[in-house]
Amino acid sequence: MNVHKLWEYQEYINVNGVMMTSELISVLQNSLTLLQVENHFTHIQYWGQMYAVDTDYHIAVGINNDAILDRKYFYTTDFKFWGLLPRAKKKYKQLSFLTTFPFRGDPSLKIKVLDEALDETHPERCKIMKEESRLAATISNICDEAEVCARGQLIKQPSGNVIINPNYYGLNGSEAKLLKSYLHIRPAQHRWNTNLLTRQDYNYSMDFLDSIDQDIPSGCWNLTLEQNGSVAYVKSLYWPGMMYFHKVRTPDAGFLYVGNGRKNLDVPFLL
Amino acid sequence: MSQTFILEPDIIAATENVMPDLNNDLVLAKNFLKQQSAATGDSLYDHLVDVVQKILSQKPPDVVDNFEQYSWEVKQEKFRPNFDLLNDIYLSPPQLATVSRMDEMFRLVASKATKLDDLGEEEQELDLEEDNYKPKIQDLVDHNYYFREGGYGLPTSECYAIYIAMIMLGIKESVATVRFFGKIYGTKANYYVAETDLTIEELDRRIREFDLKDMPGEGEGEGEEMKPPIEEQAEVLGEGEGREPVSKEPVPPKLPPEPVSTWTPPPPIPVERPGQGVNKKVYWVCNRPGDQWICLPDLTPNHIKVARLCVRCMTGDLESEVITFPPFEGTERHFLRAQIARIAAATSISPQGFFTFGSGEEEEDIDMEEGGDMQFNLNPFYQGHTLKDLLDSNLTYWVHHGRHILKQGRTIWWNPNADMEEGLEEEDDEGIPPMEPETGPNLFTPLSEDARIEGLSAWTTRVSSLMCSDRALATIRSNLWPGAVAYATNGKKSECMYVGWGLKFQPPNFSPLQLPIPQNEYVIGPEVMEMADPTFADEEAFRIAHLPPPPPPDILGEGEGYGEEAEEDEDD
Repeated sequence: MNVHKLWEYQEYINVNGVMMTSELISVLQNSLTLLQVENHFTHIQYWGQMYAVDTDYHIAVGINNDAILDRKYFYTTDFKFWGLLPRAKKKYKQLSFLTTFPFRGDPSLKIKVLDEALDETHPERCKIMKEESRLAATISNICDEAEVCARGQLIKQPSGNVIINPNYYGLNGSEAKLLKSYLHIRPAQHRWNTNLLTRQDYNYSMDFLDSIDQDIPSGCWNLTLEQNGSVAYVKSLYWPGMMYFHKVRTPDAGFLYVGNGRKNLDVPFLL
Repeated sequence: MSQTFILEPDIIAATENVMPDLNNDLVLAKNFLKQQSAATGDSLYDHLVDVVQKILSQKPPDVVDNFEQYSWEVKQEKFRPNFDLLNDIYLSPPQLATVSRMDEMFRLVASKATKLDDLGEEEQELDLEEDNYKPKIQDLVDHNYYFREGGYGLPTSECYAIYIAMIMLGIKESVATVRFFGKIYGTKANYYVAETDLTIEELDRRIREFDLKDMPGEGEGEGEEMKPPIEEQAEVLGEGEGREPVSKEPVPPKLPPEPVSTWTPPPPIPVERPGQGVNKKVYWVCNRPGDQWICLPDLTPNHIKVARLCVRCMTGDLESEVITFPPFEGTERHFLRAQIARIAAATSISPQGFFTFGSGEEEEDIDMEEGGDMQFNLNPFYQGHTLKDLLDSNLTYWVHHGRHILKQGRTIWWNPNADMEEGLEEEDDEGIPPMEPETGPNLFTPLSEDARIEGLSAWTTRVSSLMCSDRALATIRSNLWPGAVAYATNGKKSECMYVGWGLKFQPPNFSPLQLPIPQNEYVIGPEVMEMADPTFADEEAFRIAHLPPPPPPDILGEGEGYGEEAEEDEDD
């Protein structure tokens, strides 16, 4: 969620009963604006909260030139110091799925992960991971699978850069009811012409991302319109705690994750 | 300057005048721009005029970067259909449906409020009974304020609508107290859940209804009575079949009797009556504030048992089917009720001393009633705890006030052998050994006793504010039921609420119940085991061994051998 609009957006948060307190918003706006200036980010967004045992992590994203590739994630536990999250390694992304115990709240903590798929004698069976890497990996997993935007919110320029559309006018009522109007924020995994040609009114600058209606199983995304159909909410059953809202016909939209960083693998049973 | 504007007559003149000159070129270009497109009847000239007009009048920043966007918008605006052509059709805003429902609710509540005011003025002294009848409605707006201070709660708009809806519930239905339980997300619609106590008259009525339903029940007996006739019939039929063929055709080989299942279902666990145990509170749900509140049915222990063994998302439709294994008897309304009961049992918490047994003054009564169904009330002497105590990670200052649901699916343990022990005391030896009564933690057990989930304690406490400790309050969230939260101020306020999917966090993952192992078809014994046929030598040896007794040697030695073995087994 755009940090500078948190006061307006706080009424739209709708995830497991979480609301942002005035103190949190004030502190976030202060410290993140400073962070933005220090790092010369064009945009800075509040990403969410990761529950931990001792103190929770708060995550922010800074965006520079490219809204997909040029993102930097920051974390903090006290709002005084924002630490830059390392780039998530593939190894850790896989390990973070195997970790069952909760985050502790101490980024330098070293944790042991047991990979039960490997033999008991395998030297790689027990691996060590820093909590910071685990946090980065978990966030990266969530971004890959659950971070979404409305169609048109990100546009690809002829130069290949992806930018946040400054003239975004929002989806209209009927578009907002379709899962097809919501796209994954990640480098596209489907072929480019799949994404483009599954729409009648395709647009080269908008339809370069994967739309969420192709995710498996159908029903893993939950789309509801509330407040008389004026706000659309997208939630993922795989990542309970993830939420995306979009005010219909306005550029207001935001993503938020508040949860313990565990993927819910029971989805096929839930439907 | 005036020459730059070319008037219509000039254009006409220009087409006739073929002399090449600047003015002429301009006119030609303009003519080209004014060409109408065959498809839309629009011309580029008009379009440019509109775009320039829009840009100049609205003065947006960075026009050059977003020029295409503006052009696009202007075009879009042009194609807005004009509904006035269809004789003044008014399209009502989509909010209308919701608004009309809400309006009805507001009117009802407002009219009731004014009526009560009038009454209050006139007969304040006489009206004590009337006052008693007025249902106690939880001050949700106030509680929501504290929840929001703590970082949880509902959006303001939603909160107020629910509050009014709760008042409506109090007016329409015969309930004594109304409390907002929480909100449960569904895939198509959400449920708002209100938790109520019924008025005494309504409760009596329901208990009477329940007893009536239960009387002819004696359920199990009837079922058993039903069964034997079928078996008898089958036997009779079997005999009949046996006789008929005798007269007509060669006798078919007589089949052994069909095996009869010896399995008897365990006696059903009786349902707790309304106002007791898991059915102590009555829950009402609606999809949107303003909708009619729908009463959820009472729970049977079986519902809870099955709900514990499966995971499922709510859909938002009370009538939708619940397809699970083991099979769930009922629709989503039963399932929702079961989940609510589980959540309520696990996540109703309050600071120690907030509630007390009895009225707080007569504390001797505690030992009078045993086990489950004790009444508790707000403790008038509760003074609050300090924040430090409430935030203590040992959680000893927070206690459960939800009754633990036993494995039986009841809060009060029911002894399945009670009738048997009374009736069949003589044959006691064969009876099932008396069961160990199940016990759960008592009411007001501190949260520190809760089971931990994979190294994570079941609850996490947080303070609402780090900056101004005077205003701070303690919040506590459940890790077992994500979405269940409670707050407590260092004063006298505390409340809990659930907003979530109605799913339990059960690491590592859910695994469905395995099918039971199939029963053996027959008893494994010498009759059915494979063994080597006796050789001639064996038979001879057997015959010789059995010679001494005078009876002539057996022809069917083989068969008898087996028979004897079996007999010996039995003797053992």
